[in-house]
Amino acid sequence: MKRSHHLLAVVGVIALLLFPLGVGNPYYIHLLETIMIYAILLFGLDIVVGYTGQVSLGHAGLFGVGAYTAGVLVIKLGAPLLVALIAAIGVTAVFGAILALPALRVTGPYLAMVTLAFGTIVQILINEMDWLTNGPMGIKLEKPSLLGHKLDEREFFWLVAVLLVLSLIVVHRVLRSHLGRAFEALRGSPVASDCMGVSVYRYKVYAFVISAGFAGLAGSLYAYSEQYISPNSYNFELTVLFLLAVIMGGRKSRIGSMVGATIIVLLPKLLDDIETFRYVSVALAVLVIATTVFGIQKGRVTAKQMAVPVVGSIALAGLSFWLHTMTDWRLSIFGVIMLFVVYYLQDGIVGFVRSAPNLAKPKPEAQVAGASLAGGDAVATSAASGSSEILKADGVLMQFGGLKALNNVSLSIKRGTIHGLIGPNGSGKSTMMNVLTGIYQPTAGSVSFSGRSVVGCTSSDIALSGIARTFQNVQLFGEMTALQNVQVGLHHTFDSNLLDVAVHTPRYRRESKAAVDRAMGLLQFVGLADLTFEEARNLPYGKQRLLEIARALALDPQLLLLDEPAAGLTAPDIKELISFIRKIRDHGITVILIEHHMDVVMSMCDTVSVLDFGQKIAEGAPAAVQADEKVIEAYLGGTAA
Amino acid sequence: MSADTKMLTITNLYAGYGKVQVLHGISIDVSKGKVVTLIGSNGAGKTTTMRAVSGMITPTAGEITLNGKRIEGMESYHIAKLGLAHSPEGRRVFATMTVTDNLTLGAFPRLTGSRPKGDVAGDLERALELFPRLKERRMQLAGTLSGGEQQMLAMARAVMLNPEVVLLDEPSMGLAPILVAEVFRIIERLKSEGVTMLLVEQFAAAALGVADYGYVLENGRISVHGPADKLRNDPSVKAAYLGGGTSH
Repeated sequence: MKRSHHLLAVVGVIALLLFPLGVGNPYYIHLLETIMIYAILLFGLDIVVGYTGQVSLGHAGLFGVGAYTAGVLVIKLGAPLLVALIAAIGVTAVFGAILALPALRVTGPYLAMVTLAFGTIVQILINEMDWLTNGPMGIKLEKPSLLGHKLDEREFFWLVAVLLVLSLIVVHRVLRSHLGRAFEALRGSPVASDCMGVSVYRYKVYAFVISAGFAGLAGSLYAYSEQYISPNSYNFELTVLFLLAVIMGGRKSRIGSMVGATIIVLLPKLLDDIETFRYVSVALAVLVIATTVFGIQKGRVTAKQMAVPVVGSIALAGLSFWLHTMTDWRLSIFGVIMLFVVYYLQDGIVGFVRSAPNLAKPKPEAQVAGASLAGGDAVATSAASGSSEILKADGVLMQFGGLKALNNVSLSIKRGTIHGLIGPNGSGKSTMMNVLTGIYQPTAGSVSFSGRSVVGCTSSDIALSGIARTFQNVQLFGEMTALQNVQVGLHHTFDSNLLDVAVHTPRYRRESKAAVDRAMGLLQFVGLADLTFEEARNLPYGKQRLLEIARALALDPQLLLLDEPAAGLTAPDIKELISFIRKIRDHGITVILIEHHMDVVMSMCDTVSVLDFGQKIAEGAPAAVQADEKVIEAYLGGTAA
Repeated sequence: MSADTKMLTITNLYAGYGKVQVLHGISIDVSKGKVVTLIGSNGAGKTTTMRAVSGMITPTAGEITLNGKRIEGMESYHIAKLGLAHSPEGRRVFATMTVTDNLTLGAFPRLTGSRPKGDVAGDLERALELFPRLKERRMQLAGTLSGGEQQMLAMARAVMLNPEVVLLDEPSMGLAPILVAEVFRIIERLKSEGVTMLLVEQFAAAALGVADYGYVLENGRISVHGPADKLRNDPSVKAAYLGGGTSH
């Protein structure tokens, strides 16, 4: 973080800690305390919603599990504060793992329904399990003691503030580590995650578990804060509010979580009373008009674009003076404001501020400048061990319904060679790639890599055993930078666990530094060094293909599968591509190349196999294949180069 | 080409994505019935130009005129109604609909816009005659077609608009050599029927072979332009863009 940011953070924390001293009114202290507790939960929810891109409507349920774990431990066993907090985190994390199970099978609206059901079931269980939870009567408890001293309202506030800051640091560190990159990669492209050795299965569960841990911590603090918990608190409305808070504040942002928490706690209060509402609506209208005038002057927005927000905010202010009481209108106005924010600020408030003029997102820090490489390039050399045959596919049959996409295909790939795989569109080349990397399980036949069978292994296991690939239709992690994309490929170089990441142990620092250096080196190798911090989705198509190769090389593969690397490249780019594929081969890495550009295939490959309608129709040296009658008829045509 | 009717005029166009500026003031003219090609290396801004013309992105400055009407900054669907067809990079056919439905949808902007509606059913038959492989598969779902057939469908769908101008972005990408030749034959055929086209192609030599006029894009600026046969023999263009590619 930049120094100014550090300073700002320190000032913020000090202001937070001084707040109860300056403001004596316990009502306001409790309000801010609630905001902080919600913020802790939202940090966790943002991991699931913002980073892995899953929808969870079960977080109110998890919040309730945390609250009741603490509550039950305190009233039944008289557990001390620390025990209650740690137990709440642990128990809720287990429930998080349960909540993750449906996420492994379904996504989108289906997942929303399942997690919603989870939340409802938790609420019902709390209500019904009288013997444990006191049922609808709820649980009363007192402010806890710490080190033999009973905390008062103000001291408990400080405890929550300290835990908020700690949560913030831990979440921030996790999300900026290899774990956070793995979560984000799941959202960008699950299939590419698996093929980079980042098991989608494991990291989805991991994300839910960590997320639930924070929900548990927040829930237990909430129980102490309110001093009374009942099943009705953890209802559907709360879960929707949590989700709204993440969206309105801005996903993938800790500040966004805090802003979101503030909105969902304060907005209903501001609407309680007509006087306050008048102030707020007039302030909002002034703010919108000022932004519009400023924006139009700078030429960033047109009057037409801003018409609706301006008219809307003025109408809201007008309404506030026309109304005499709030009670009948409160919920409607709350709803309208929500709708307005979600519609106009789709990236949330933080996203809006970042994109606003003169408040551009700060450039990523220069911690990576001057990545030094000890001689040569960053591509790891693959040791030529074992037999000369690196991959053997025997009688592979891949059947989709009645269609035989691969019909009894056998391939033998020699170590250290470039093996071409060509054939008409739809002949089964990409299907073969998917069989080799475990995305498809073949209907029959065997595939062995370095003497071990890979049939039945998961994609991520196969990737970790040394087969890396690129994709015909580029599968990058779009919202991540070029550097981060390659770092996902380097996931396998990390041994650090959650604790290492949270406290930044020397091991984690060492691994993290090494990964950045390697990634920079690999970007340099494919010629993308000047685009290191550009988001992958903003790169032109050809550069995206190069980035995929860099990411695949990060796996330190023995075998690299390239699926149409030259598609969409112009002649000079292709020359460059040829030269660095040769360099890759010179590192002892075996390459299987699917390509339609015959000049590429013919100039580089040692052996070429030709597929047509799922069957191998020819195989041999490039020149021989090129002259083969069947190949000319099916694939090359009369005019091939 | 000044004496011809200008179908598409791009003047001093600036465009990009977010804070990344890709095009730095390019100007291109496409005359009626002509084929114009855009050549350049990766990231030069070819696809960005296409996207700005068809309204998929909003240009930051400059003018685009289609058949006398200013279209820059308009919504894509509106530009399509004015007669601009875009066959995008990566095909983008409607995978879960049949070939016939894809083609009929290509004519949709004719039915809702102010241009003459014409005979959609007749044009459908003509498009299928032009692409016999599609005719064989007219009831098949587009997603089940092979890559080459999908590319033909994307081109045929663009033609179904009865367009004033067709933008063809990388029509041969990812196709087997035998199909690349086929795609260029189809472009020739469309040209002979008087279709105006702006073509972006990885096979620059082949593109210049079919085009009347060419522009070379370098880092978002036009570096050279001229009649296609002249560009084809320009030593600097040859060295930078034509060497090594598959020729036809």
